[in-house]
Amino acid sequence: MTSGIIPAIELAIPPYPEYLQLVRALVGAVANSSGVRSPLEPGRVADLRLVVSEAATNAVEAQDAVGVRDRIVVRCQVAEDHVLVEVIDHGPGFDPDALPDLPDVETPERLRHESGLGVALMERLADEAVLESGPDGTTVRLVIRST
Amino acid sequence: MWRERDQMQLDVRRHGLLPIDSAIGQGEFGPVVLTLFGDLDMAGAPALRQAVVAEVTLGTRLLVLDLTAVDFLDSTGLGAVVGGLRRFRAHKGDLMVVCPEPRIRRVFESCDLDRVFVLHPDVGSAVEATKNVENWAAK
Repeated sequence: MTSGIIPAIELAIPPYPEYLQLVRALVGAVANSSGVRSPLEPGRVADLRLVVSEAATNAVEAQDAVGVRDRIVVRCQVAEDHVLVEVIDHGPGFDPDALPDLPDVETPERLRHESGLGVALMERLADEAVLESGPDGTTVRLVIRST
Repeated sequence: MWRERDQMQLDVRRHGLLPIDSAIGQGEFGPVVLTLFGDLDMAGAPALRQAVVAEVTLGTRLLVLDLTAVDFLDSTGLGAVVGGLRRFRAHKGDLMVVCPEPRIRRVFESCDLDRVFVLHPDVGSAVEATKNVENWAAK
C-alpha cells in the first residue's frame, strides 16, 4: 500500500436504474471519509456523485440496449489530493468522438433532445474524464482533485 | 428488462387547481403544481414523465414543477423536465420550474439549461409568472 492512498473499494451492481442511488451513496461516503479527512470540498463531492451517476447511467443504458445482465463495477480510490472513480460495463461500446453535438440551448430544436448531456457533464465537471470503449464494454475514469 | 421493474424512487404530489385572477383572461383555474420528492434520475424520471402526460391529457395548460424537495438531479432527470416543457408548449401551455437549492440549480447551469428555464425561488413566484404566459393569454 502506497503512503497516502487508501485501498480501492469496489461495488458491483445489477444493471438496473434503482441501484444508481447505491452508487451515489458509496462514492459520496468514500469521498467524505477517506480515513483521515476528505480531500474534497462538499461541493466537489456533489460533483463527484453527479458525474459518477452519469457514467453509471450510461452503463445501465448500454447494457440494457443489448440485454447484458453482467454487473456493473464501480471502483473508488481516494488519495491525498484527489478521488478516482472507474465505472466499468459490458455494453456494446461506442465511439466517444462520434457523439453528436446538441443544438444551441436557445433554439426550439434543443427541446427535442432529452438525452445526450451525460458525457458533456462529465467532461465539464470532472478534472479528468477518460472514456475507453470497445466491443467488450466501456470504462470511464473520473478524477476530481482537491484544488 | 428494467423498464418493467418497480422503479418509483420519485414521489410526485399534485396540487391543483389554484384559483387565479380570471379577469386577466386566463380562465377560471390557475396552474397545477407538481411537487417532487426524492431523486430525479434514471429511476425517478419515468414517474415525472407519466405525471406530465397525465396533466396534458387532463387539459392542464400551466404546470409549476416544484423541485425544492428533490435530493438529486442528473441529466436524465433534466431530460424529463425538458420533455415536459416541450409537451406543454406543444399544447399552447407552459411549464415553470421552482428550484431554490444551489446544488440542484448547478445541474441546470452546468448544462446551460438555466438559459431555457427561469428557476423560480418559490412556488408563489412561479405561479405569478404563469400570469404572463403569452400563449395562454392569446389562446
